[in-house]
Amino acid sequence: MTTTTTEHMPRATGRRSGRKGGFARSRNADRLTRAIVIVVTVLALVYILLPVYWMVKSSFQTNADIRALPPHWYPHEFTIQAYLDMTYVIPIWRYILNSIYVAAAAAILSTLIGCSAAYVLARFRFPGMTLCLVAILATQLIPPITRAFPLYSAIQSAGLLNSYTGIIIAYAGFSLPFCVMLLRGYFMNNCPPDLEEAALVDGCSYFSAFWRIILPISLPGLAAVTIFTFLNAWNDFLWASLLLNQGDMKTVQVGIGDFSGEGGNVRYISMFMAACVTATIPALIMFLFVQRWLVSGLTAGSVK
Amino acid sequence: MAHISLRQVTKKYGRFVAVPDLSLEVAEGEFLILVGPSGCGKSTLLRMLAGLESVTHGEIAIGGEVVNDQMPRQRDIAMVFQSYALYPHMTVAQNMGFSLKLDRCSKAEIEERVAAAAEILALTPLLDRKPAQLSGGQRQRVAMGRAIVRDPKVFLFDEPLSNLDAKLRVQMRAEIKSLHYRLKTTIVYVTHDQVEAMTMADRIVVMNAGNIEQVGTPLELYDRPMNRFVAEFLGSPSMNMLPGEITGAAGALSLRLADGSSIALPGRDLGLAPGDRVTMGVRPEHMTIGDTGGMGLDIVVDVTEPTGSDTLLIGRAADCAITCELDGRPDVRMGETARVTIDPAHLHFFDEDSGRRIGAAG
Ligand SMILES: Nc1ncnc2c1ncn2[C@@H]1O[C@H](COP(=O)(O)OP(=O)(O)OP(=O)(O)O)[C@@H](O)[C@H]1O
Ligand SMILES: [Mg+2]
Repeated sequence: MTTTTTEHMPRATGRRSGRKGGFARSRNADRLTRAIVIVVTVLALVYILLPVYWMVKSSFQTNADIRALPPHWYPHEFTIQAYLDMTYVIPIWRYILNSIYVAAAAAILSTLIGCSAAYVLARFRFPGMTLCLVAILATQLIPPITRAFPLYSAIQSAGLLNSYTGIIIAYAGFSLPFCVMLLRGYFMNNCPPDLEEAALVDGCSYFSAFWRIILPISLPGLAAVTIFTFLNAWNDFLWASLLLNQGDMKTVQVGIGDFSGEGGNVRYISMFMAACVTATIPALIMFLFVQRWLVSGLTAGSVK
Repeated sequence: MAHISLRQVTKKYGRFVAVPDLSLEVAEGEFLILVGPSGCGKSTLLRMLAGLESVTHGEIAIGGEVVNDQMPRQRDIAMVFQSYALYPHMTVAQNMGFSLKLDRCSKAEIEERVAAAAEILALTPLLDRKPAQLSGGQRQRVAMGRAIVRDPKVFLFDEPLSNLDAKLRVQMRAEIKSLHYRLKTTIVYVTHDQVEAMTMADRIVVMNAGNIEQVGTPLELYDRPMNRFVAEFLGSPSMNMLPGEITGAAGALSLRLADGSSIALPGRDLGLAPGDRVTMGVRPEHMTIGDTGGMGLDIVVDVTEPTGSDTLLIGRAADCAITCELDGRPDVRMGETARVTIDPAHLHFFDEDSGRRIGAAG
């Protein structure tokens, strides 16, 4: 950078700070603004992360250390004993596996059904289509809790109470309206019909055109609805506690909830915290794994 | 290679009739070009041939087999779309090889055929790119490549050269022509560009509002347009039209123009009678500058456009816009009145009401 421009900079900083490069660009640029932004961000982060930190910290402490008054901000006696012992009091791995199974199955089921339904609604005109769309939207207007009793009795009469199948169907059903609407919009905006037509002419059937052309370029949309359903199911407590609350089959949310309900969170507090930390990891991994598909712009360049 | 018949084909979109009633035969191995103004139903016709659009009434047969109810893939056709429709998640090579892959060709064969097509289209250095990394013209060539790697019964092209620059367009025109010469596959080709139509086609179909105006070889259409629409549509600059009334007696007819001036018509039988209201058509290149006796016309020159090899003279006579294509660089200035002579051997007469060609003239 030449001397002229460096000299020139300070005068212009006020206006420049908004331009590309933002804060990094302006050397002298409102230090105060910068400081305020940083402080606010840090405060917000602390506010959000403090409980998480407390959980992680507690899981590496002994019970006595946790209960010390005034509380210790960091483990005075660092130990991983809680992680080694937690399975004696709470079958957390089993619960996690249950949750993964239920959430993944629901995610796959609702993505599969959702993309087929969305494709038909996006591409074909048929009598009653508007009615279908309105009905799908209308389901979103009903507060979920009002469905609790009807759904419970429906699942009960189907003989699916306390089975994985029952809750998988329920979760997939809850997410489907959103999945269908999101994917329909995705297909309509990002997949020009010319693409399928080209595929048909190239020798595809309707189904293989969908499978080989439309689905691959819709990966971002599919990833979004898969994550959505997975996390919804993973985080759910209400439905799982209604539909699947027996012994070993519990999901992680219900398992941990029941354990603390039985007083486990007081007696075995460090093990309880260790179990909680463990329970947060799979969703994190799932998110990191799928988020690379959440890139946009896959269809760029297909039509003029 | 196959012969195509369209028998009384009708296409309706709801109440809107895009193609009212169209019959057409395309011979085996023929290069047929559909031309017509925007929205006249060219793409619709092509899409019906491809099986992408249902036929409301009538029959389409390819190679003697009625294909109305066949899926596109059963028809064995290759098509280049007006919008390219490249698969964005595949490389250029995969785009071009996709149909072969569906056909279960071996990897080696796919590679070989893709390489050969890429060579023709100058796409070899781009084979590993994705469509997003290509320019418009390159995408268009990939779309062409996707069609020519195959060996279908029929090629359908929907304005495949519209996005190329002038030089590349001329080059691709020659490529398509020689491709057709080598493969002898039936081609139905849609274009806006009448130069493309004139230079490439075995036969041209001129369409207007879903109807066929005329079918014939390029020179037939150029020399004997059957109506005003075809006459004005083909040829660039387009044919000059002079409306007027026939006066005089048989053997010595003349055309009285709107401003009262008259042009003496040649003595041979033109199929005209005194009192007829007609439009006389003269192609710009059938006019020469200067008064050489014969059929003269005074033109007020608005603009001259020297193109190098010849000069366009744009002006008006009797309230009609007139364009003359003159050899060399005649000394005519803007604003002057110039006298041009019309070549009496190349006259076209059209009935003023119906627009149909009159008699054996020309
Ligand atoms: N899906 C549709 N629904 C209703 N009308 C349609 C539909 N597709 C085409 N049309 C109409 O049919 C007519 C013919 O359209 P087509 O696309 O065949 O025109 P074209 O000759 O290919 O024009 P261009 O040269 O601009 O591509 C147009 O008037 C158009 O508005
Ligand atoms: Mg078109």
